[in-house]
Amino acid sequence: MKLVIDESRCKGCNLCVLVCPYGIFQEGSELNQRGIAVPRLDRPERCTNCRLQHLYGRLLCGMCQMICPDQAIRWVEEEPFEPHSVVVEF
Amino acid sequence: MTAEEWYRADRLPHIYCAGCGNGTVINCTLAAVEELGWRREETVFISGIGCSSRAPGYILTDSLHTTHGRALAFATGVKLANPGLNVVVFTGDGDLAAIGGNHFIHACRRNVDMTVVCMNNMIYGMTGGQGSPTTPPGAFSTTTPYGSGEPAFDLAELAIAAGANYVARWTSYHVKELVKAIAAGMRTPGLSFVEVMTQCPTNYGRHNRLRRVSDMIEYLRTHALLVQKKERLVQEGKTVPDEMFTVGELVRRNRPAMGVRR
Repeated sequence: MKLVIDESRCKGCNLCVLVCPYGIFQEGSELNQRGIAVPRLDRPERCTNCRLQHLYGRLLCGMCQMICPDQAIRWVEEEPFEPHSVVVEF
Repeated sequence: MTAEEWYRADRLPHIYCAGCGNGTVINCTLAAVEELGWRREETVFISGIGCSSRAPGYILTDSLHTTHGRALAFATGVKLANPGLNVVVFTGDGDLAAIGGNHFIHACRRNVDMTVVCMNNMIYGMTGGQGSPTTPPGAFSTTTPYGSGEPAFDLAELAIAAGANYVARWTSYHVKELVKAIAAGMRTPGLSFVEVMTQCPTNYGRHNRLRRVSDMIEYLRTHALLVQKKERLVQEGKTVPDEMFTVGELVRRNRPAMGVRR
């Protein structure tokens, strides 16, 4: 699964930045077409829901989706062979 | 059916300001509806007038957007005409406590089987930030420029005194607890009253140095006092801080109810 922010709904209130236990959401700085600074995703593959939703068969943490007043956050299925950014940690 | 499917996607994004807590409350209510597995054709959302009362317009079910303060009167009619319907009332503090105060007391007294979700943002948000009956003492608004000099209305205590079967209070920060409370309220026969303290950064926060959404959320988080903790403080003979509000399940009882599905 993949975490996505719907830019057509987000109003840039940054509540997701406040609640995410992994700090995946970072306050955005660039304005989009609607003049809203949508939060940036910092390594979203760390999200438990992205990794384990299929294994457990239910929504796990889901705090960001629940608190988002604009219903902009959701998880979508990944396309096969989608490019990933890989970070090597020593 | 997931909560996403209950939204009218063509009406989104909604008109609420950035950071308004009402959207969170709709999320939580729909999550509770989904948990209970209610069907769309037997669910009715009813609201009065105000920011919070725009909520049913974004939900894909039958809904009534009624006159100011009279949401509970309409809801009583809906429930008694057809007890097979699941009735949820969205209302705000100005709608429920100020103009609809008597309807609220009598709906609690009659104990009509419905769930009332009150989004209490401590201000009249839609009309420009006038002080409401729930504005805390000392808080600034456009009609209380020197700080509110009146004690605030405790809606949950009022509902308990008037006889509601289930009363809980949470904030829009405590989303998981709120979903559980709303679901418990929906399961309880009789009137279930869930008061949700929500943030209004645009009109409440602006006048009270809580302009940023995170400041307003921090205010709700630090001023919420769990009911068990309050009881412990009282038992130990310590003083309960005046500016804090109790959160948690405040009452659950089994008074005779009206309009329960047979």
